[in-house]
Amino acid sequence: MTTATAPTSGVPVGPGLSMFDPIFVGIDEFGQPVYITLAYRNLLAGGEPGGGKSGLLNCIAAHAALSVDSRLVLLDGKLVELGQWEDCADAFIGPDITEALTVLRRLQVVMNNRYAWLRAHGRRKLTAADNLSVITVLVDEIAFYSATVGSKQEQEEFVALLRDLVARGRAAGIPVVAATQRPSFDIIPTSLRDLFGYRAAFRCTTPNSSNIVLGHGWAEQGYTATDIQPTNQGAAYLIAEGGVPRRIKVAYLTDNQIAGIADYATWIRRPATGNRTEWEIAA
Amino acid sequence: MSKSSPRRPFGRNTGTVTVIEAKVHRSSARNARLAFILTAVIVGLLSAVVAASSMHPILALFIGALIGALSGGLAWVLVRIWPVLRLLWWWTTEIGITIVLGAAWVQLANHTPLPVTLVVVALVVGVPAAVPVTRRALVAWTWCLVVRHRLRVCFAQFIIANQSGSLPLILWATPTPVGERVWVYLRPGLSMADLEGRLDRIAVACHAATALVERASDGNAAYLRFDIKRREVLTATVGSPLVDVIDPATPATDRAMPVVPTALDLPDVDAPVITLPVQKKPATTANGSKPGASSSSSDADDVSDWI
Ligand SMILES: Nc1ncnc2c1ncn2[C@@H]1O[C@H](COP(=O)(O)OP(=O)(O)OP(=O)(O)O)[C@@H](O)[C@H]1O
Ligand SMILES: [Mg+2]
Repeated sequence: MTTATAPTSGVPVGPGLSMFDPIFVGIDEFGQPVYITLAYRNLLAGGEPGGGKSGLLNCIAAHAALSVDSRLVLLDGKLVELGQWEDCADAFIGPDITEALTVLRRLQVVMNNRYAWLRAHGRRKLTAADNLSVITVLVDEIAFYSATVGSKQEQEEFVALLRDLVARGRAAGIPVVAATQRPSFDIIPTSLRDLFGYRAAFRCTTPNSSNIVLGHGWAEQGYTATDIQPTNQGAAYLIAEGGVPRRIKVAYLTDNQIAGIADYATWIRRPATGNRTEWEIAA
Repeated sequence: MSKSSPRRPFGRNTGTVTVIEAKVHRSSARNARLAFILTAVIVGLLSAVVAASSMHPILALFIGALIGALSGGLAWVLVRIWPVLRLLWWWTTEIGITIVLGAAWVQLANHTPLPVTLVVVALVVGVPAAVPVTRRALVAWTWCLVVRHRLRVCFAQFIIANQSGSLPLILWATPTPVGERVWVYLRPGLSMADLEGRLDRIAVACHAATALVERASDGNAAYLRFDIKRREVLTATVGSPLVDVIDPATPATDRAMPVVPTALDLPDVDAPVITLPVQKKPATTANGSKPGASSSSSDADDVSDWI
């Protein structure tokens, strides 16, 4: 398969990257770069197994890892999808719902504190000038925590905490990016699913599944992820700033590239995270 | 297209098309009569008034009637041949291109000997066809011409708009990497929702894979944009520019070697599994009410409970 070079002009990249910058996620059908600004948004990715959801999450994780004002909280039921970011993430949760609940409760407290702080300053939302980090929460395979592992009570608490983050985290700089194969009501309650503003639908097997991801009625208007070829992994319909689904191809990072970026990110955020001496010797 | 030749409609007598054509025909005759009367009266009166200032009023009245009748007749003819004019207008680009090419050919043939003529033609045709960029551009623009006609066929054949059978204005078309984009201005009687229900048929009529319709303007519901898609372009893998900004000489993070699980094949595993994920599960379920041993079956229960 051929490789298209990403249009780098105008792409804000570099060590001075910020989570308030537009994130490069791929190109659209016109060859134009596609950006999403995640600081005040939540994104839900859906699609059949092997569609490329984790590719999108890794793309966002790479930007977040290289951003100076960012913290990563990773919940990954499969361990390997986001596992390479473990060293530069503030929390990496594997298939363990107790730990997942703990970290979500911590995030909830942070969120409440930030709102109290904003209120004390007479403000309504966090901005880039506040020097507070954007805490990006990446959940790969929500269904694993919300419908598979743990007791029913724990699953419900997981959903409730996540819904709270999605509902209120936006203005406090805690965006949630979640991926799941089919976000139907038996996996994620509709009340949680409908709160995600941005949607990415990778290949789906039925127009109905596509509608579940993108929102009701898009398939009838001709936007259905069933027309993506099964071999064309990483192609998706994205609803972001424009409000209308756009056909995009997500930028893909190989394992080696991810390892390189993760090492670099770990290295540049070293002073902030302790055990610096050992690293300064290494550098 | 059949709609554009209203002199023949009564010869056909099947389907909705004929009905509309009959209507078009009647309304064309009525409009022509109306145009004749209106133009004749207004122009006649005006010219009579103007003429009266320089001659006897009765003479002026005659002159006015004459001029009115003449211009009324002109208006009548214009309205009656309007379908033909419309047809000519639809094919202006093609007619123009044909005329230019024909004229060029004639000039060339008249002024150069035959071998030179053939060489020039071979160059003019061959070079753009041989260079991939120009060839693709030519093909793309040709599709734009084709698609405008195909869209008009759609509107005329199965997207029946209003009683008088007026078609939407099909504005310009431009090539896109996936196909064409055509701008359309709807006439009363159609809406975007009507078109959305027929996108599959529009795609077929345009020999395309899929068709999409979008609002082209926020403030005007009549102004639409068709995206005709006939190619998949997003097949190449896209690289990330982030890869280029990192320092490749970064020291690799040295991680503590994680516990590498054994028992990686089915025969290695007997009864209740003791691998990494399940090891943590008893701790998980200890908080809940269920025993750890039956964790897999309780998962199934959980899913159905959830529904
Ligand atoms: N943007 C892309 N460009 C090219 N290939 C891709 C892209 N994204 C994914 N792929 C290919 O598809 C494979 C599966 O992708 P990925 O792991 O992201 O799927 P997924 O949707 O997360 O699947 P699952 O639901 O099983 O987790 C990858 O291993 C890769 O080979
Ligand atoms: Mg995945």
